[in-house]
Amino acid sequence: MSAEMWPLPSTTIAVRRFIVQYGVYVSLGIVLVAGIFLTPNLYSSQTLEVIFKQGAQLGIVAIGQTLVLLVSGLDLSMTGVIFMTSVVIARVSNGNDQMLIPAFIVAYGLGGLVGLANGFLVTKRKVPPFVATLGVLILVQGAVQAYTLGVPGGFVPDGLGIVNQSFGFITIPLILWIILSVIFIGVLRLTPYGRRIYAVGSNPIAARLSGLSVNWLVTSAYVLCSLCAVTSGIILTGYVGYVDRFIASGFDLDSIAAAVIGGTSFAGGRGSLLGTIAGVLLIQVLSTMALLLGLDIQVQLIIKGLVILVAVALYSAARVE
Amino acid sequence: MTIDPILELQHISKVYAGVPVLKDVSFACQRGQVHALVGENGAGKSTLMKIVAGAVQPNGGTITFKGETFSHLNTRLALDKGISIIYQELALIPHMTVAENIFLGREQRTSLGFTRQKLMMDEAAALLQRLGVQIDPRTPAGELTVARQQMVEIAKSLSRNADLIIMDEPSAILAGQELEQLFQIIETLTQAGVTIIYISHRLDEVFQIAKNVTVLKDGELVGTAPIEQLNRARLVEMMVGRSLDEVFPKSKHAIGDPVLVAENLSTQTLKQASFTLHAGEIVGVAGMVGSGRTELARAIFGADALQTGHITLKGVPFAPRGPQQAIENGVTLVPEDRKQQGLFTGLSIRHNITLPILKRLTRWGMVDRKAENDVIARAKSDLSINMASPELEAQFLSGGNQQKVVLAKWLQILPSVIILDEPTRGIDVGAKFEIYQLMRQLNEKGVAILMISSELVEVLGMSDRILVMQDGRIVGELAGEQVSEQAVITLATTHREGMSA
Repeated sequence: MSAEMWPLPSTTIAVRRFIVQYGVYVSLGIVLVAGIFLTPNLYSSQTLEVIFKQGAQLGIVAIGQTLVLLVSGLDLSMTGVIFMTSVVIARVSNGNDQMLIPAFIVAYGLGGLVGLANGFLVTKRKVPPFVATLGVLILVQGAVQAYTLGVPGGFVPDGLGIVNQSFGFITIPLILWIILSVIFIGVLRLTPYGRRIYAVGSNPIAARLSGLSVNWLVTSAYVLCSLCAVTSGIILTGYVGYVDRFIASGFDLDSIAAAVIGGTSFAGGRGSLLGTIAGVLLIQVLSTMALLLGLDIQVQLIIKGLVILVAVALYSAARVE
Repeated sequence: MTIDPILELQHISKVYAGVPVLKDVSFACQRGQVHALVGENGAGKSTLMKIVAGAVQPNGGTITFKGETFSHLNTRLALDKGISIIYQELALIPHMTVAENIFLGREQRTSLGFTRQKLMMDEAAALLQRLGVQIDPRTPAGELTVARQQMVEIAKSLSRNADLIIMDEPSAILAGQELEQLFQIIETLTQAGVTIIYISHRLDEVFQIAKNVTVLKDGELVGTAPIEQLNRARLVEMMVGRSLDEVFPKSKHAIGDPVLVAENLSTQTLKQASFTLHAGEIVGVAGMVGSGRTELARAIFGADALQTGHITLKGVPFAPRGPQQAIENGVTLVPEDRKQQGLFTGLSIRHNITLPILKRLTRWGMVDRKAENDVIARAKSDLSINMASPELEAQFLSGGNQQKVVLAKWLQILPSVIILDEPTRGIDVGAKFEIYQLMRQLNEKGVAILMISSELVEVLGMSDRILVMQDGRIVGELAGEQVSEQAVITLATTHREGMSA
């Protein structure tokens, strides 16, 4: 009968809650301590700079991905948006610093449209997010390539090189990541919008019956996610300095991995940005350590895969549905 | 009485996740009789019967069937021994023929391994004839009415030589003639020595067909008695554990002006339904499953589009295009399926309760924690929600407390109309009583309540007026002296000429 709704013994709940709420932070702590002994170089200023810079690029995308995951969605189109952003910057500005702002505006505008398209397909046409955003990814990549005819023209303005400036290990991307994280953590925790995002992901039917505009909320998450991708695309373009089709390959899956390691549920309605941030750092630190230890790329991938699987297995065992 | 018990349950107990759902239940069934099992939703009837059928393993106690004693059974063993259960959700495979369904998993085969279609058809036909029903065994099961599917299920039980057939609330899906036919079949079966355990909510039919009754309440045995030693009122008291006057608080004040007037509402299922809700009254909606009760609620709530008809709310035309508009105008719905539609099980109690009033609680773009705490504290005391902390996820609450959380959510906006769909499903008796009290408190504040319920006892006990539905129509309205279980069932099940044309 209705066995699931009965309360569990409180100790079990406490242990499970601990795993769900703090698992990723404890893991990150363990890895960081292990780093002191295994790879002391991890704490050199240069290494930290790289970790944080790369962490910021992935981290900003992961903010958007977390939002989408919270509304039971998934965004695979972000690498397309990032590629599109770098092409737009190179084409619109054509190496001219004065044209950077107009280029940003065009990039954010187009990114927003991609988010709207994702949201429309998922909410109005009821296309599963995986299929919808994959379709949009292919469409965006194709459209951009049709526009460039395969030859990435234009130039990235020197001014965008500002993203490479560092003060110790602090870089502009890191600062941006921190600012965006603080804003979105605040939005999710403190505002009615944040509450509604969680509600929609937790139970879309109840959300509708509670008078929430479910479609609008879901679409807004996709739009914000695309805007995060544009931001990350701007940083990446400045970082690389030229247009590259594979500029962000792996970001879509890595951002999902970071969120999931951080405790965000694929089923929606559960998770926190702080967890995602820890997830991003865990991925970055682990791959940097593997690099410092001189492990092969294959071994790095295996480690990453194991971390994801262990995290997911722990969470699903710990969650009582 | 214990002349020839076919089934004896002794000290059966079952614990789910640390919480007992069956506590030391013992009773015996006599061979060749109809034994009724009654109790409210959540009393443990289904769990107990699943234990007998081997679908659930008990934590303690023994099952003695035809002289053999078991500590537990599994479904295969139960079937082999002659125990068969017919669930409310029928388990036939729609695209397979009646005969194939009857012999599913035990197909007769030739030496080459082919199924012996002809033989199975003949045997199926013979079984159905024994039951006195005319069904072609070659028909795909999905094309049969629910009632006829039920007959096929019975034939399936017979084909397995069942000595004991458990029927889980057949009258929830059968009506009128169909139910009469079922009773005839039951009569035939018992005369042939088959024992029937009949789970039902309808006390009248219990008195009609059962020889003995066992009552469960909150997982405990209240008692087993021969039907002649009981009357209706006594049986209800055994089920709810209090006298009726205590359970159902009566309205203490005058009923106010009309709040919601619905005229000729038609949707895909609904046919020209008209009714009026007054301030401070409870209108019960009774009818069979599928009679259009839920659709009536959905139409008022704006969840289904109206084909004809119009609604006025407090004298103003009201045409909600969706739940959002309905809620903004003070019409709210507490849906029947609490966990799927009403509650955010993964969210905290706090987040559940204040969701509809976030706008009111917002200052400087953020949710005002202090104001919110006040709301939570008030809800907790007003509804006596039993919770360790408002930060606890709603899934960890008991059914009764979950329902209070859902109600608390809507009380924050003090709606003018609340639609309650199965308000006390899966809730223990204590919490039920509190929810009834709460409904009356809402009435006193002028809230009109439309209550849909399949628990007749509840509809009869709580409603100031009762609308009875059948086939998408409101076929009758009962109030005051006219109200009786018989009157409701007659209206709900009597087939009307030209109605389903």
